[in-house]
Amino acid sequence: MNEHRTSEQRTSERPVVRHSTIWKPENIEDIQAKADLGRYRIRGFSALRDRPLPSFDDLTFVPCTLTRVPLEGYREKCSTKTVLGSRFAKKPIEIDIPIMVTGMSYGALSYNAKVALAKAAARAGTSTTTGDGGMLAAEREHSDILIYEVLPSRYGIDVHHLRQADAIELTVGQGAKPGTGGLLLESKVSDEIAELRDLPPGVDQRSPCRHPDWLGPDDMLTKIEELREATDWQVPIFVKMGAARVYDDVKLAAKAGADVVVVDGMEGGTGASPDILLDHTGIPTLAAVSEARVALEECGLYGTVQLIIAGGIHSGTAAAKALALGADAVYIGTAALIALNCNKPLYVDDYHAIGAEPYACHHCHTGRCPVGITTQDPELMKRLDIDAGAERVGNFFNAMTLEIQMLARSCGKSDVHALEPEDLRALTLESSMITGIPLVGTNVVFAGGPGWKPSSER
Amino acid sequence: MKDIDCTDKTSRVINQEIRHYIQAGETEIHVHHPQARHNLGVAVLQPVSLTMTGSVGYYCGGLIDGPRIEVQGSCGWGLAESMLSGTVIVNQNAGNSAAASIRGGTIVVRGSASSRAGIAMKGGTLIVQGNSGYMTGFMMQKGTIIVCGDTAEALGDSMYEGRIFVGGRISDLGNDAVVEEVTDRDRAFLTTILAEYDIEAPASFQKIVSGRRLWQFDKKDFDTWREAL
Repeated sequence: MNEHRTSEQRTSERPVVRHSTIWKPENIEDIQAKADLGRYRIRGFSALRDRPLPSFDDLTFVPCTLTRVPLEGYREKCSTKTVLGSRFAKKPIEIDIPIMVTGMSYGALSYNAKVALAKAAARAGTSTTTGDGGMLAAEREHSDILIYEVLPSRYGIDVHHLRQADAIELTVGQGAKPGTGGLLLESKVSDEIAELRDLPPGVDQRSPCRHPDWLGPDDMLTKIEELREATDWQVPIFVKMGAARVYDDVKLAAKAGADVVVVDGMEGGTGASPDILLDHTGIPTLAAVSEARVALEECGLYGTVQLIIAGGIHSGTAAAKALALGADAVYIGTAALIALNCNKPLYVDDYHAIGAEPYACHHCHTGRCPVGITTQDPELMKRLDIDAGAERVGNFFNAMTLEIQMLARSCGKSDVHALEPEDLRALTLESSMITGIPLVGTNVVFAGGPGWKPSSER
Repeated sequence: MKDIDCTDKTSRVINQEIRHYIQAGETEIHVHHPQARHNLGVAVLQPVSLTMTGSVGYYCGGLIDGPRIEVQGSCGWGLAESMLSGTVIVNQNAGNSAAASIRGGTIVVRGSASSRAGIAMKGGTLIVQGNSGYMTGFMMQKGTIIVCGDTAEALGDSMYEGRIFVGGRISDLGNDAVVEEVTDRDRAFLTTILAEYDIEAPASFQKIVSGRRLWQFDKKDFDTWREAL
């Protein structure tokens, strides 16, 4: 028996361990890690905050019963065809499904991962996107539809690649770290990646967040015109932004002449970022789609300027809810990598070696990805078989598509783009206020949220 | 030689006419009365000669690979941004971000260049006969900037690699930009390239390169990183 125990502690044979709600283990670990590092922490993956964000899971579909008639869930035709960029481009993108692969760079991802994603997207009849490192020749070769990102860094910028693209995405920011550029740490800046980006090999590359040759929306208008001139007005111009002041930003992008606006919520993933930005900047994807929709409606451009929503889309249900709230398509990034094997319990010792666990790995920044996805190490990369990976991602695209169709049919829709806010109800007061969709059990539209209006007012 | 009169024409129409003449085999085109229109001569990919007989707006010669473009007046922002190869000469002044992110070729500004000249350069050469504005060479990656006159604040801030030669007064060096000794080889290069464009070389140059202290995250460099832009 410990002689120094207080009388209070002696009331129990086993002392009660009480954790502070402020000085939680993760906060203590965080301080001690920074005390060692002397700088902010950097990691990959997505938000890890322990307070859950409002999400699509806070909504439920209200399928047909007597007031509406459903389609046969497993049989009847339900179109998933998606057209993007019909505003000004001579050749809008036509894809078979409303799910696309977001921009992830060759550098952040391995060669095998980039090519597997390109093959998977082509099989599924959809697009993939280059990323912050220029166009990889094999990616162009294996993609039926490839979107070329023009980013603030302009790494690998090449007019010939630009003119090979099926659409151009002018990236203002990303959901993982809106208002801040990306990072690619030393271990991933291999000789090849350094050459492609015109950087010294082995540097901790930090990408700029401002474009080098324009600043505000008025300049962006001229920049968009330049990109159209460079591509002879043939292909759509997307403008991608991290979700922040979405209501205003979407209006500005539409006014500047975007064919398509991409809004990436704070759940968006990354290969490397200061972790405070992942957890504490931007707004959730649920709120982003709601604000974006009403912004386009108020401009009279809803349906003319297409809306792509990204950030933490992990299933067909999340995608279907995004479509119902107003998106024309969704981007997936992290979900596609997980389909490739990210976080799968393979090579478990190698997860442990980088301080991670399967299902809880966010160590993309180390370049030591145990499953060969976020690495430039040739030996690790071999662990990702391109064709097998492409098949898994292709299967996941198919599964998501079937899920979206199933929900659409249950709501009586023969086209997934006919899903609408009326097909949804909110499960939480919070999500009701964000989306303007009635809370279940009520007819009340709390706060008249920006994403939805009663049909009588439309 | 073909002439294009820009009067009452949009940039789109002017560029279409430029491309039409190039496709017809024309190698020398004069563009008259450009009146600061934006995006003239964008994405020209052939080794032709374009002469703008007045001033142009933003992104003149942006995304080009191969042509020789002469602007007889001044230019707006983003002159020849992301150029891969070719030559662009501006006889008067250049707006912000001249030569932004170019990967090759040569740009000559016979007057002065505004802020962020040579930003994010990935190769090639920018020559400014006059002065250049703040943050010249910001986040420069490769290539050469030559400023015969003075440079404003934060010269060469956060540059990865590349070199900046300044013939006049340097107001202020940016983060991690350091002065390095000019070698005989540098002097020979400067003499040759300036003579090529009929620019009288200043009596001497200072050479600015990266101090390479921002190449890696390191807690020992906290003071540098705290100030890094």
